[in-house]
Amino acid sequence: MTINRRAFIKANAVAAAAAVAGVSAPVSASNLITSSDITKLKWDKAPCRFCGTGCSVNVGVMDGKVVATHGDIKSPVNKGLNCVKGYFLSKIMYGKDRLTSPLLRMKNGQYDKEGEFTPVSWDKAFDVMAEKAKATLKAKGPTALGMFGSGQWTVQEGYAAVKLMKAGFRTNNIDPNARHCMASAVGGFMRTFGIDEPMGCYDDIEATDAMVLWGSNMAEMHPILWTRITDRRLSAPHVKVAVLSTFEHRSFDLADNGMIFTPQTDLAILNFIAHYIIKTNRVNHSFVNRHTRFAKGETDIGYGLRPEHPLEQKAKNNGKTKGSSTPIDFEEYAKFVSTYTAEYVSELSSVPVDKLNALAELYADPKIKVCSFWTMGFNQHTRGVWANNLVYNIHLLTGKISTPGNSPFSLTGQPSACGTAREVGTFSHRLPADMVVKNPKHRAMAEKIWRLPKGTVPPKPGYHAVLQNRMLKDGKLNFYWVQCNNNMQAAANIAEEAYPGYRHPDNFIVVSDPYPTVTAQAADLILPTAMWVEKEGVYGNAERRTQSWYQMVKPPEGAKSDLWQLLEFAKRFTVDETWPEELLVQKPQYRGKTLFDVLYANGQVNQYGLDEVPDDRLNDDARAAGFYVQKGLFEEYASFGRGKAHDLAPYDRYHQERGLRWPVVDGKETLWRFKEGSDPYVGVGKGYEFYGKPDGKAVIFALPYEPAAESPDEEYDLWLSTGRVLEHWHSGSMTQRVPELYKAMPDALVYMHPDDAKARDMRRGDLVKLVSRRGEVRTRVETRGRNKPPKGLVFMPWFDASRLVNKVTLDATDPLSKETDYKKCAIKIVKV
Amino acid sequence: MSDNQTNSTHPDSGEYHVASFVAHAMALQLDAVKDEINRIDGSEVHAVSPEGKIVFTLEADTQQTIGQHIDHLKYHTGLLNLSPVYHQFLPATHNHT
Repeated sequence: MTINRRAFIKANAVAAAAAVAGVSAPVSASNLITSSDITKLKWDKAPCRFCGTGCSVNVGVMDGKVVATHGDIKSPVNKGLNCVKGYFLSKIMYGKDRLTSPLLRMKNGQYDKEGEFTPVSWDKAFDVMAEKAKATLKAKGPTALGMFGSGQWTVQEGYAAVKLMKAGFRTNNIDPNARHCMASAVGGFMRTFGIDEPMGCYDDIEATDAMVLWGSNMAEMHPILWTRITDRRLSAPHVKVAVLSTFEHRSFDLADNGMIFTPQTDLAILNFIAHYIIKTNRVNHSFVNRHTRFAKGETDIGYGLRPEHPLEQKAKNNGKTKGSSTPIDFEEYAKFVSTYTAEYVSELSSVPVDKLNALAELYADPKIKVCSFWTMGFNQHTRGVWANNLVYNIHLLTGKISTPGNSPFSLTGQPSACGTAREVGTFSHRLPADMVVKNPKHRAMAEKIWRLPKGTVPPKPGYHAVLQNRMLKDGKLNFYWVQCNNNMQAAANIAEEAYPGYRHPDNFIVVSDPYPTVTAQAADLILPTAMWVEKEGVYGNAERRTQSWYQMVKPPEGAKSDLWQLLEFAKRFTVDETWPEELLVQKPQYRGKTLFDVLYANGQVNQYGLDEVPDDRLNDDARAAGFYVQKGLFEEYASFGRGKAHDLAPYDRYHQERGLRWPVVDGKETLWRFKEGSDPYVGVGKGYEFYGKPDGKAVIFALPYEPAAESPDEEYDLWLSTGRVLEHWHSGSMTQRVPELYKAMPDALVYMHPDDAKARDMRRGDLVKLVSRRGEVRTRVETRGRNKPPKGLVFMPWFDASRLVNKVTLDATDPLSKETDYKKCAIKIVKV
Repeated sequence: MSDNQTNSTHPDSGEYHVASFVAHAMALQLDAVKDEINRIDGSEVHAVSPEGKIVFTLEADTQQTIGQHIDHLKYHTGLLNLSPVYHQFLPATHNHT
């Protein structure tokens, strides 16, 4: 029997891999996939918990535990493949230090900011939390309350949190960690197109002739998309791959044209390409004349530092006008980019002229279909919105957009950065479906859908992620709830700008997490959280694909989902405690009701009963709420976007599909937006229509190269770039707990050029200190391996909680997107 | 951090693990990559496509052993991608019934 079972599961494994590779499987292995009668595994689908690619995995459950995962052969995204993190997904829930009880800092049986973490009941935890929130509201009003959430929240969790904060507590101080990741991309989309998220999709990879990676190391950070790129490159020999980065990495293995550029000069390279297209008469004038207009953006806009910083004192236009622009014509634009000659840009960027010309030719040649991919290189940039605008420029000048194979594509880092952070609008300035709190019509629409009094949602944008840390430190933000992220490790300049706020005596900090992360340990109250398939939810990936999953296992006893926590906390407040009289008089029937009643049991969210949840299906959150809460929240949220180019399908359909790309109109998903024939929102006879803008035209921006906030000098003589590695996902709070992944990449090393090491009398493996003007961190030198920086630049990943590289980084941000630049600051390295 | 990880299975716990992979190799390096895979204990190459895709399995007592093997493999010159596809194990109790 043992042999039979072994043979059986091995045959399963072979059949799955053969199907994925598109090669014929041995006969014995056919038709066996996911047959559970012998193995007693129960299989169901779920999107992967990690990056924004949105792979679907099949999850095998036995005896209440996830014991197997494999890439979902039915998924159009990953077509059965996994990356190494996805391969070990089944283990992320079973770390030894999984939290199972709320932990409150206590001394002598009472809460005490200086006390030790002590297990308490959920009731006690919520009692103390509510008391602190109510005292803060009374003393300082709603702006002293805040929340930091995540692109890892499910859509429903993010939506419930937005309602609780923006309507329940009337504070816009809610922001997701996607601020560190996607905010510049959002700013770029809104500024150029007036509507968020990519127009194309992953299908572009198989249709294109050239792929350009701008700063992105997809081989490590988006490995499944990289397999599709590899497949395309190797199966169609005419296809070219260009890779640009500030250091050499594994994506260069496939590059036909690999380019190392000096940090920040990507802006100049982008303008050079525009100049090259114009100079060689390859502008697609019919497209440009019909579908675009030109504008010159404000310059010298500062670096998003504290106002007293010398760089902000010096900046001329870092006030309210920083995002403004003035209309120009094509000739003025052509003149503007004409100074970005190959020779000038080569000198600035250190990329040889012939490589620059070869790169520009991929965009300029009308016969070549081209995709651009980027992630943190553009987004974590003090001119991140500009970089996004500039890459759209070169696709718009040539009309290489919105058609199969022609795609400027902004990749994402979190599983629901698009779905939850962006589409739901968990940002401090946003509401669902690209609406913003500043716009009175948008607030009115939200209040109408939510059945709330006029004026409930405050008009002023709240504190964004970086400002939240500053306001905590300054004692202006006093009650703070962190869910689903690890910002004490992720934020820049943590010793100066993050930790002081968490430990400020006036502040009460709550952190919800499955594990005792660095952030949790800096909190006053830790709430143990259920994760991934321990709950039901929806994620939205980078290509607008919305995917759902069911709860498959119970969380460890004591751990509860973020959604449950939000709803239970809402029961602790009546509207009389959180709203002023002018709201209550509009809806007297709400007096005495709890925030749970008004926001969630509002006759709308709770209209789907438990009769829709079969008895044999796990759904702890629905049973606790008393109604099918995930469906109710999703359907109410979806009503924001239906008919407004953000259409989602009915909730139940997502459980039948491997996701659908919005807008979903008449039951059909949309692969390419803004193009007649493929996007139902484009008017007949228009050809293309960028309907996010009132005139239907996308904007080509004249924006210059401006230097980084901090560059190497005599004392701090090296550039530092931080980033990620294949084995660990972001701060490593999940992947560092998987022994195989930990072992494969245990510690964050500093990668440096052998000559730089030699000049400092250092060898591979030496213990060293990275020192900046803000702090220092110890690690060991690596002069070989997968990352090969040029002389003058070092790279250190940030996944390692025992070596916090963000003690060294600078909290300079893009003044438009408020996203931090983690890729550029000046440091020195000394031997310990 | 190493104290916080999932319980690792003991080598003689009686577990049986099998995992399948698709590797993508440069055409010129295909044989070298295949040889490297064949050198691993518990490996078996099941299919190779003309474009350079290799379907193989690894069998071992622990997932950790499989992890070590793929760590070793992924640095091989000419290997462009290594994608795990499927992993399953038989726990000791189920394995012996």
